Amino acid sequence: MFYRRAGIRHTTYRQERQLWPLPFDRFLVGLVAVLLIAAPFVVDRLYLVAYLLPWLIWSSAALGLNLLMGGAGQIHLGYGAVMAIGAYTSVHLIRFGTPFELAMLAGGLASAAIGSIFGFAALRVKSLYLAMATIAMQYIVDFVITHVPGISGGGMASVEVPPVRFLGILIEGDLRTYFMALAVCAVVTLFMLNVGRTAFGRALAAVREKDYAAEIIGIDTFKYKLLAFWSSSFIGGVIGCVLVVCYLRSVSPEQFHLDLSVQLLAMVIVGGLGSVLGSFFGAGLILFAPIVFNNLIGAGADRLGISIGADLRAHLPLMLYGALIVAFLVVEPLGLAKIYDNVRNYFLVWPFRHARR
Amino acid sequence: MSRGRRGAIKPVTTREDDMRLTRRSFVATTAATALTGLRFSMRSAVAADDKVIKFGMPQDFTKIYTFVTAEYSQGARDYFSLVNGRGGVNGYKIDAEVSDHANDLPRAIEAYERLKREGMVLIDPLSTPVARALVSRALEDKINLGTAFSGRSDAADGSVFPYVMPLSPNYWTQAGLIVDFFRQQDKDLTGKKVVLVNIDTPFGKEPIPIFQALAQKLGYSFENFPYTPPGNDQSAIWPQVRRAKPDWVVFWGAGVGQTTALSEAIRNGIPMDRMSSSVWLSESDMDVVGKDAAKGVLKFEPCASGRSPKVVADIIKEVAGKGQGAGPEGKIGTAYYNYGVMMAAIMVEGVRVAFQKNPNGPITGPWLNDGLTAITDFTAEGLLPAMTVTKEDHQGGGKGRIARWDGTKFVPQTDWFSANQDVVWTEIKKSAEAFKAAGK
Repeated sequence: MFYRRAGIRHTTYRQERQLWPLPFDRFLVGLVAVLLIAAPFVVDRLYLVAYLLPWLIWSSAALGLNLLMGGAGQIHLGYGAVMAIGAYTSVHLIRFGTPFELAMLAGGLASAAIGSIFGFAALRVKSLYLAMATIAMQYIVDFVITHVPGISGGGMASVEVPPVRFLGILIEGDLRTYFMALAVCAVVTLFMLNVGRTAFGRALAAVREKDYAAEIIGIDTFKYKLLAFWSSSFIGGVIGCVLVVCYLRSVSPEQFHLDLSVQLLAMVIVGGLGSVLGSFFGAGLILFAPIVFNNLIGAGADRLGISIGADLRAHLPLMLYGALIVAFLVVEPLGLAKIYDNVRNYFLVWPFRHARR
Repeated sequence: MSRGRRGAIKPVTTREDDMRLTRRSFVATTAATALTGLRFSMRSAVAADDKVIKFGMPQDFTKIYTFVTAEYSQGARDYFSLVNGRGGVNGYKIDAEVSDHANDLPRAIEAYERLKREGMVLIDPLSTPVARALVSRALEDKINLGTAFSGRSDAADGSVFPYVMPLSPNYWTQAGLIVDFFRQQDKDLTGKKVVLVNIDTPFGKEPIPIFQALAQKLGYSFENFPYTPPGNDQSAIWPQVRRAKPDWVVFWGAGVGQTTALSEAIRNGIPMDRMSSSVWLSESDMDVVGKDAAKGVLKFEPCASGRSPKVVADIIKEVAGKGQGAGPEGKIGTAYYNYGVMMAAIMVEGVRVAFQKNPNGPITGPWLNDGLTAITDFTAEGLLPAMTVTKEDHQGGGKGRIARWDGTKFVPQTDWFSANQDVVWTEIKKSAEAFKAAGK
């Protein structure tokens, strides 16, 4: 009915390999793209700067982490530190007069370089042990930032981001920062959508499934594990730069603590490992469920005249938030992306219950 | 075996149906919840009363600052109730919207933007990371950002930070006053040793330049012992402190770090009456350490503690006595409760002065800013030292006193005083200049 699919009839390799073979999916993607581009002109300013903008940035970061975790199967608990390296590198370069475009790339490269050094741990250890190694990275980076005044910015440990220009356009105000973040997010999303179709992506998938089996079929796991860390950290560094330039406007150490790493990890897992769409869903849920619950309970209590103590009023949203995450994972362990997929599968053949493959 | 049975018995399909139903209704319910959430917050934005002045207080009730937020917020809200109960200021009621930002930047920025849209003229986040992240927004939007005992110390320089209002002695002033108290006690600090035991974060390292500058001026030697955050294990540091044989110890942390520091100091036999804390020490901490064990320890007081100040007595009579208190009555008069009363009183005084200057409004951020920066010799009926805020000095004079724990309460050891402000202001100017240079 909606998808109007009756059997798959590809006549060329090109058709078979396209990202969205079904016209309805293409329509949905186009619709979302149009909505995102039109958003600043139709959505209330509050929702633009306090919801859409952080959502785009956190989603991009979750995509970068998802490349490593979902794509190559390497756990990383220090992704916040990776973003910190990119953010600090680029902000200091901007302060010394480097153009924003170059500073952003340099931030990515610095993150990639340092990130792959810690990626060496992945060559020796796996799963929980790798998790510990990456947590170590988080703490080492935190320590270095707070203890080198030249990096942290001295006594106040806060460095303001100077005004920046991207391709000659001053990035300031709500509109331009939003489009900057949107552009970067689009590039990262396109990369992530396509990476699975490249030799690189397939090699990562092989490493993810079983690294020694991958070695047996001729994939250099040494190289690809490091490359996975390299590219994921590069994305992290660039997003760290976008985060501070477009959203936070100043950079200080607490912004990149373990909290951020765990938040991103939760986004990837709740959204769905290895899923591009899932990263967006996960970022949306993890970022906004507490806010929505908080506003809901606050407004509800005021409206209905129920007196809830300030303590309970503060903790109730967190309880609901926790319950919601557990509920989602109980209903669908493969994440929000899988829930979407189930719904899509249902409508794929609706109003019938089954379709012949 | 169970496999065979499952295959044989029909209900399997109905179970699947049930699953799907619940799943579907689950998704629907979640979507509905999310939608109502948005609708609610939008509606509450429209319902605005003309005769209120709105303060936004998104604070951290659930993450890091929990040890102070509940009491601080209770004090502030009780004071607002007191003012409103007496008819408000110039007929205007104070409407404080309290919510939780959990020290999380996206949540805090969302709260800030939402409150801004609802017409708040002052926002008090009570969190250093949040205050830092909001500085550039507040300066741009001309909304007063309350940063008492948090945020940037250099915001005392009002010429660089016109809308950032610490309205309280900053950490540099606190360090300056504590060292001056040591000097008063020993008459002369030449040849003495002052050590700082601090949490190893930017907050903990903040007072170091003041201690160093004063060491040169007063001739004491200074040593610094950082412990790793969050500070629940300091057993390695305190034996080193003991071996350093300090004449005075300043311990600089917050929450769990403070009680751990005190316990370890007691264990290592460091005399309590030679130890001082910044503002972050309260009666509840003493319960943890042991009320008698910690007898003699010193702290910096920005305002009077206890229930004797007239404002607090009034709150007990007119607010809590009528059952309108914002929290448990037992907490009234604790150190952090009184900080909340203090800040609320200063904010309301700002409103009063603003009405004096521009009786007809309009009520905006700049309007309140004119009031806040013209507060003169305000004492909140004896709760705090005479405070004068100007366009240049957002700290309000940098006065305070040192109090000593006597086993049941903090007893003031000095009058309200101010000291070493030259050193403090050198540091403020230096840091503010760096901020100004970075924004270009």
